[in-house]
Amino acid sequence: MKLDPLSIPFRAGESVVRLAWLLVFALVGSPAIGGASGIGLAVVGWFVVALAYQLVYYQRFEYELSGDTLDIASGVVSRRNREIPVGRVQNVDISRNVVQRALGIAQINLETAGGSSTEASLRYVSFEEAKRLQSEIGRLKRGRQSGNSTRSGSVDADPERELFAVTRKELVLLGIVGIDLRLLSIVTVVLPVVAPSLRERFADPLVGLAVTAPLAAVAVVAVAALISGALALTSYYGFRLARQNDELLYERGLLQRFSGTIPLEKVQTLTISENVIARRLGYASLAVETAGYAPNDAGSQSAVPLADKHRVVDLARSIEGFDDIDFDRPPRRARERYVVRYSIVAAVAIAAAFAADRYSGLTFAWYVTLVLLPVAAVGAHLKWLNLGYDVQSEYVVLRQGFWTRTTTVIPYYRVQTVMDVQTVFQRRRRLASLIVDTAGSSGLTSRQPRALDVDEARAAELRETVADRLQQAVQRRRTKRHRERLRSIEADLPDLPDPATDRRDRRGA
Amino acid sequence: MDDTDGERTTAASPFGEETTPAIRRVGDGSDAESTVPDVEALTGEPQTLEPAIRGVWVIQSAISAAVLGVVAAVAFSVVSPGGAWIGGVVFGLVFVIGVVFSLLRYRIWMYQVREDSLYLRRGVLTRVNTVAPYVRIQHVDTRRGPVERVFGLATTVVYTAGSRGADVSIPGLTPERADDLQARLKHLAIAAEGEDAV
Repeated sequence: MKLDPLSIPFRAGESVVRLAWLLVFALVGSPAIGGASGIGLAVVGWFVVALAYQLVYYQRFEYELSGDTLDIASGVVSRRNREIPVGRVQNVDISRNVVQRALGIAQINLETAGGSSTEASLRYVSFEEAKRLQSEIGRLKRGRQSGNSTRSGSVDADPERELFAVTRKELVLLGIVGIDLRLLSIVTVVLPVVAPSLRERFADPLVGLAVTAPLAAVAVVAVAALISGALALTSYYGFRLARQNDELLYERGLLQRFSGTIPLEKVQTLTISENVIARRLGYASLAVETAGYAPNDAGSQSAVPLADKHRVVDLARSIEGFDDIDFDRPPRRARERYVVRYSIVAAVAIAAAFAADRYSGLTFAWYVTLVLLPVAAVGAHLKWLNLGYDVQSEYVVLRQGFWTRTTTVIPYYRVQTVMDVQTVFQRRRRLASLIVDTAGSSGLTSRQPRALDVDEARAAELRETVADRLQQAVQRRRTKRHRERLRSIEADLPDLPDPATDRRDRRGA
Repeated sequence: MDDTDGERTTAASPFGEETTPAIRRVGDGSDAESTVPDVEALTGEPQTLEPAIRGVWVIQSAISAAVLGVVAAVAFSVVSPGGAWIGGVVFGLVFVIGVVFSLLRYRIWMYQVREDSLYLRRGVLTRVNTVAPYVRIQHVDTRRGPVERVFGLATTVVYTAGSRGADVSIPGLTPERADDLQARLKHLAIAAEGEDAV
């Protein structure tokens, strides 16, 4: 199969746009270079070269979805032939931006668990072809999983069942709740550029600062809210999640439309996260992690951007059947640790304020910062309050965080390594943290799922419990698979008696 | 198909040891399989590292102390109070700390090849106990850095699909011990019959 012919001019156009950006930067840097005609010539020349290259690329690019593998032959200068086993494909994602939608083409990305980047990317095929590939790969995978590709009856796709669709209200809330703290930092970088002009209006710099500082703070929050609202709107517009056989299908995006599959079979962990605002409003979001994605590819992991908490929990339960969560809490002496830690930070801040008051011309009510001490105590309590772990029969559930509280559900079957970690300070209070590592890429936060500051004996016990239950889960899976395989053999060969006795006979012969 | 049948191995095999498959699954402790001699022979008591690893760590800390010392010397020879001698002090301090840590680290380091997982204990300031189940092992490497080669030592690295996979490395083994450990882990991983690993 070939790519869509429209991909030739589109890809050529893309490289011209990239060149145009480069030219813009070059022009800003040194306005002396060339005139408008020179630039025009360069752009046209580059377009012709790019078009020729893309034509060759198009001719050399072939892909073929055969029974078990997706074969891709590509490359202009160095050629590359790849065979990707369909059973190893984790996610199949389709994305289309505005221009691509106008042209009716789409990019399709395949993720496998190996490697740190996308395994294969077809740029670009027609949207229908992308859809066909997506469903065809899904069908072939199901065929492989049922251990039998000849019986096509069981392989056909079930009808799609919609699990979740974002409402307008939730979208608006998402903008409010999702104020990204990192955006604040970006805005504060931009602000100093704008601020001086504002400050000039005031004669006295101190008065100016007193007026501009709160104003700036408000402006920062407002701008951040606007940006995050706009981002939420564009990336989660029209979000819907559906389930088909053993896969979740999602669709989202206003300008750039994404759709993809999340195989339930490969789900590593589920994370329910609720920040302070969302918690107040009774909302939460759900992230589903699979092993395929490259780190920081967080957008694709998100299963539900924002929904009523009960709905989110129900949805999570339908993916992984964990029990009602009943958290064990870390001991009270863990809280003392946070009190000490935060108080030290507060004391340093107070000392700095005092020193500034004493030894610099600036005099102000430094003792106001004393308020930080009770704040530290409250902060410590809140941090402690939000910690928790629950060791269930098939899942371990870990919770932490006050500003953004994350509850991570980890099936024992997905555990890679377990460790308990004890710092010097933890050892003094006989505490330890349990870290449960999975193959999930734990994207944005890069925080490992862990139970913070558990009693040290308990942590060691939990470490062994989790490791043991992993073994049991592996054992269960294996037995189940054997039983399924036996059953499929039985179904295939109805004339044979019991396959188990049959095999024993054969071995005896 | 035959070899992976869960029920078969529990039944008494009418055959001698030589006809039973070389690859067997590890027991789950619930039945008599946990006494499969193969696996039993491969596991062992807690092990410490070779004492020579202290030398490797001391030299490594000397190197980093020297780098810091040179940086400090250059920095303080430019700044008006103080001179290049501060670099020597920095080197001395960092080196002494490094030596103390090397000795402590050696005393704490321990690993054990258990029945269904590899267990490690390490860390001076932050103590870490790791359990790496054999079903999750992707591959096992042995590597020897330049300093290690001087001391005749090797490091065995166990890879899992986890995000902290490369964390599971055991330094301070003689090449023979490293090869032996690598082979044992390989056998145990095969016996544990990891399926998908993710």
